[in-house]
Amino acid sequence: MKRIIALFLILALIFTVVACQKTDEGEAQDDPAVVDPADPADPEDPVVEAPAMKIALVTDVGNIDDKSFNQGAWEGVVQFAESKGLVQGDGYDYYRPSEDSTEARVETIGTAIANGANVVVCPGYLFEDAIYTVQSQYPEVMFLLLDGEPHTADYSVYETTANTHNILYQEEQAGFFAGYAAVKDGYTQLGFLGGMAVPAVVRYGYGFVQGANLAATEMGVADQVSIKYWYCGGFAPSDDIQIKMAGWYTDGTEVVFACGGGIYLSAVAAATAANAKVIGVDVDQSAESDCIITSAMKGLTVSVVMALESLYENGGVWNDEYAGTTATLGAAVDAVGLPTAEGSWRLTTFTVAEYEELFEKVKNGEITVSNDTENPPTVEISVDYNA
Amino acid sequence: MSEYVIEMLNITKEFPGIKANDDITLQLKQGEVHALLGENGAGKSTLMSVLFGLYQPESGIIKKNGEEVKIHNPNDANALNIGMVHQHFKLVEVFTVLDNIILGAEPNTFGFLRKAEARKKVLELSERYGLHVDPDALIEDISVGMQQRVEILKMLYRDNEILIFDEPTAVLTPQEIDELMEIMRNFTKEGKSILFITHKLNEIMAVADRCTVLRKGKLMGTVEIKNTTKEELSRMMVGRDVQFEVEKGEEHLGDVVLDVKNVTVPSKLHANNAVKDVSFQVRAGEIVCLAGIEGNGQTQFVHALTGLDKMSAGTITLCGHDITKAKIRTRSKLGMSHIPEDRHKHGLVLDYSLEENLVLQRYWEPQFQSAGFINSYAVRKYAEKLIEQYDIRSGQGPVTTARSMSGGNQQKAIVAREIDKDPELLVAVQPTRGLDVGAIEYIHKQLVAQRDAGRAVLLVSLELEEVMSVPDRILVMYEGEIVGEFNPKQVTVQELGLYMAGAKNMYRDAEKPLESNSVSTEDEVIEG
Amino acid sequence: MKKGLISILASVISILVGLLFGFLLLLVVNSGEAVGKFGELLTAGVSTLPKMAKVLYQAAPLIMTGLSVAFAFKTGLFNIGASGQYTVGAFAALACAIIFQMPWWACLIASIIAGAVWGFFPGLFKALFNVNEVITSIMFNWIGLFAVNLACMNIRNAAGKQIMLPTAWVNSPIMDRTASLSYANPDAMIPKWGLDTLFESNYMNISIFIAIAFAIILWVVLNRTTFGYELKACGNNKNASIYAGINAKRNIVLSMVIAGAMAGLGGGLYYLAGTADYNIQKVLLAMGFNGISVALLATSNPIGTIFSALFISYIQVGGESLQPTFAKEMIDIIIAVIIYLSAFALLTKTLLGKAIKLNKTNVNEDKTVDAEQEDLKAHAQQAGDNGKGVLPPTVADNKESEGEK
Repeated sequence: MKRIIALFLILALIFTVVACQKTDEGEAQDDPAVVDPADPADPEDPVVEAPAMKIALVTDVGNIDDKSFNQGAWEGVVQFAESKGLVQGDGYDYYRPSEDSTEARVETIGTAIANGANVVVCPGYLFEDAIYTVQSQYPEVMFLLLDGEPHTADYSVYETTANTHNILYQEEQAGFFAGYAAVKDGYTQLGFLGGMAVPAVVRYGYGFVQGANLAATEMGVADQVSIKYWYCGGFAPSDDIQIKMAGWYTDGTEVVFACGGGIYLSAVAAATAANAKVIGVDVDQSAESDCIITSAMKGLTVSVVMALESLYENGGVWNDEYAGTTATLGAAVDAVGLPTAEGSWRLTTFTVAEYEELFEKVKNGEITVSNDTENPPTVEISVDYNA
Repeated sequence: MSEYVIEMLNITKEFPGIKANDDITLQLKQGEVHALLGENGAGKSTLMSVLFGLYQPESGIIKKNGEEVKIHNPNDANALNIGMVHQHFKLVEVFTVLDNIILGAEPNTFGFLRKAEARKKVLELSERYGLHVDPDALIEDISVGMQQRVEILKMLYRDNEILIFDEPTAVLTPQEIDELMEIMRNFTKEGKSILFITHKLNEIMAVADRCTVLRKGKLMGTVEIKNTTKEELSRMMVGRDVQFEVEKGEEHLGDVVLDVKNVTVPSKLHANNAVKDVSFQVRAGEIVCLAGIEGNGQTQFVHALTGLDKMSAGTITLCGHDITKAKIRTRSKLGMSHIPEDRHKHGLVLDYSLEENLVLQRYWEPQFQSAGFINSYAVRKYAEKLIEQYDIRSGQGPVTTARSMSGGNQQKAIVAREIDKDPELLVAVQPTRGLDVGAIEYIHKQLVAQRDAGRAVLLVSLELEEVMSVPDRILVMYEGEIVGEFNPKQVTVQELGLYMAGAKNMYRDAEKPLESNSVSTEDEVIEG
Repeated sequence: MKKGLISILASVISILVGLLFGFLLLLVVNSGEAVGKFGELLTAGVSTLPKMAKVLYQAAPLIMTGLSVAFAFKTGLFNIGASGQYTVGAFAALACAIIFQMPWWACLIASIIAGAVWGFFPGLFKALFNVNEVITSIMFNWIGLFAVNLACMNIRNAAGKQIMLPTAWVNSPIMDRTASLSYANPDAMIPKWGLDTLFESNYMNISIFIAIAFAIILWVVLNRTTFGYELKACGNNKNASIYAGINAKRNIVLSMVIAGAMAGLGGGLYYLAGTADYNIQKVLLAMGFNGISVALLATSNPIGTIFSALFISYIQVGGESLQPTFAKEMIDIIIAVIIYLSAFALLTKTLLGKAIKLNKTNVNEDKTVDAEQEDLKAHAQQAGDNGKGVLPPTVADNKESEGEK
């Protein structure tokens, strides 16, 4: 009997593995299928000496389907690579570190380089110390760091060498769009749920307040619009957050901008129960739940493609604009915004056209959004910072 | 038609490295009681497993009524009307007698039980063979003897013609044994054939017509009982002469070593006490036997005496020290040795080596350790000494895992360990249980040697032969009380049986009228 | 054949079977690369000095959690709470390092004490109330995890900053892990004694030697002392040990305390290496559960845990080298299969033991006949014919054991 059970277990294990493997293969096969037709004789490809780029993406700790930084950056790598006819396994790859430590990230970057990678994309601020180490260790390798700047472990020295380019994002603009859209869509009772009061989250929050304020004043309803504003103190979902959000929704809050790691899960849970709405963050989270009406996105994919294109055009090394610099990207280069794809746009009265009009204004500087994280923005709507 | 109902011809069954059955022929005549005799490991069980289709023999054939049959599994055997009463009953405790009897052969119409019909058949059968039992009683409420009857009825209900009894008397009182013998004779009169597996020679002499003897997987021969003697049978079984009488010298009584006063032990299973107000003394130089049918409080008493369990009232004094509340080790240090009832549960750490088991009671003594570190050289020397002295046989000497040793040698190891402690009091609980004749003889000699050396020995036994031959005094325990005290030289087995069954109580009553089935079902309490 | 040899052989066979399965999985997933990558899997751990350093680095805490589980196993307890003990051990070490600015050895002692305390309670409940230690230690896993997380988030310094987090030490936005020892207290990092230069890897420190030392100590305790004798007796047969006058309750508690101390030290060794920071939130730490595999593969022999932990660490490092051809998940599955099948060592040992015993030729009949009789009984038992073998348990016996349940 025991033997039969054991056999069954083993079979179950094998089938599980086979099932996993199928999905993996499926993805892997898709990529070349798209890439292969890339015609080498394409007339639009005038670059005679295409640099031999071998791109490696190293994830911070999670996987490339984390619906967040790793995924956004990986999609950028894939998009760029496909446009250049690179094949996964040869031209581009991704790696996951063995543990969540700087040492492991350094090691994994080393492994990628040992496997021939000459461009390493690192999404997330967790890479800041690691890049600081490797950028001088491998001066001939180009590094792209998203959402962070290299520094020593104790933050005493910030240094970006010429083979590294950092990208930061104007979170305040993304938050601004979200706040504006929510009010324009008819919501008056808003909420902001931040993870912790770190600069990026604060910029999201203050941007959200500014956007709501602008829309409210434009519509002449500033006295009716109010925002509850709260940092929950962590980036993990918890029952406490869910209870607090449920309380907000019961009090009349219609939509909450949940900003930080996994805490959106708590907000979504509360919103689903109260039949209310949530605004997502960082990436297009519309697929997570029907109650997510829009997301304040960082254009990770866009910015990765942009940086890699520039690298490609400059023969595989950063040009002066990129070498050793930090770019803070915003609407100007389409690196922040709301998702406008059909399934993601769930706003009713506020239209895509109106959004694009607003976007243009921010892009060309007609509207400026303050990125001050020290003082809350001065607004006409009521904001309860002690909610 | 053949003279034989079942013939197992030239059966050879090999396991890797050993021939469990080597060319064995066993022929069972219609209407006879045929005994199968052999020591533990002689191949009896293997032979029966072959008959029941659990093993397929390498060579040899089985014939039923002269025709060759193939038996692949127990169902085939059942279809050939072969039934077996197992040594360990296979009954559902919470079912009624009737339910147990029909279990697996329920008469039904489209899945609906026809119980009335079954009841009628069971009652008929029990009437016909004198197997009286209440069909509506729950198994857990009836005595072991009754349970055995249920097992027998199960075979009869299935119209089995060939009945196999595997060590059926181990759990019975003398009266019950007599009844069983009678029932077996009834069966043969009805034309049924009986295969009787045992190693008790007296029973074979009493009931069997013929006997087949096995030793170490080989057939020693089949003999007519009327042409043989007990001595000859045992020689065939063991391969040498066996001494049946326990030789004892004169008794030299010394001081009181153990003084038990009014000991009461609560039961773990029910509200009553398992041991009630028991008092007795054991003096140096005598063997006192606590006799009784299993489950009458002996186990609980010994647990209280040795410190494994707590008692609720009474005192125990060992060599003048009050040990009523003493820890086990204190008792041990004061000179109590204990050969436990269950050698696997209490007596040995089976996964320990022989030498580690031999120091189980004294590893902490200065000679075996210093500063908490075990002196393995001293342990080894000591183990070698005991192995030599007590003739403990094992595959690899001191480092043999206890688990891999035979039951007899495991018991020898325990006896060696407990006796070598040089105790004032040796408590030996069923020390010969499950052992073969040679080992039993050995252990009895050791007990007597202790007595002769001026030690006090308390023997707890269920085996009547042992009860009659080894001790100087017998105390009979029934339902947690001592109901009689006897000198073995002046009492008969039958008399003892009445006390063991609770029909007589030396201290309480004038003699009660005796009933034929002296084991009362309503009072029988099995205690744990 | 010697018992120890059978154990080792069983583990080696199990490992080979596990590796074979791993190879088959590689073949199924990507047949073209399977052979080459499988070779890398097997050799990566010794391919370079830094890789070897990583093997040793990961092996140290694995040895400790493995010892924790193995020690408890030896004494008849299943310490599934190694993860919780490991976590509180890690916290105690980090708290001493970061809050109290203690040197590394003091932090390690703190981790031992914390783990011991976390093992003490399940042991106490088991001894006093016979509460199954599996249940209590699983609960203590979660209690430990969340208590540690709460403590990390809420212990504040005079300035009101969360002292365990980077925010109290540097201008960092990172809130989901403890402060790095590199700036919080470099003295609390386990010394490297130049091994980092020798192995060209920051992973390398002396923790592996500490772990091996404890493995040897535990081996001595179990096999050479009366204390170990008592513990093992309790583990193998509690009734017999009580019969022999051993204080079984005390030994249960002590056994869990020692097991907890070992796991706690594992937490200290890992997090005081100065590489990984304690990551607040989420799930129970896997290191504690890997300890179970280590212990199984080592058939609970303390010296064996050294080798089985090294093997598991080695195969993990080897697995990393399969990237990027195989996805990390795939590698995790393959490693899990190898470890899982390797952990069948105990089963293999039993089978092997039987096979060898049965095949033993009948040379010296006098000596082997007893064992052979036992074999017969074993067969009879399989046939459902003879209950407990030599001991005919009566109905009363059965009742007794039921009563105990």
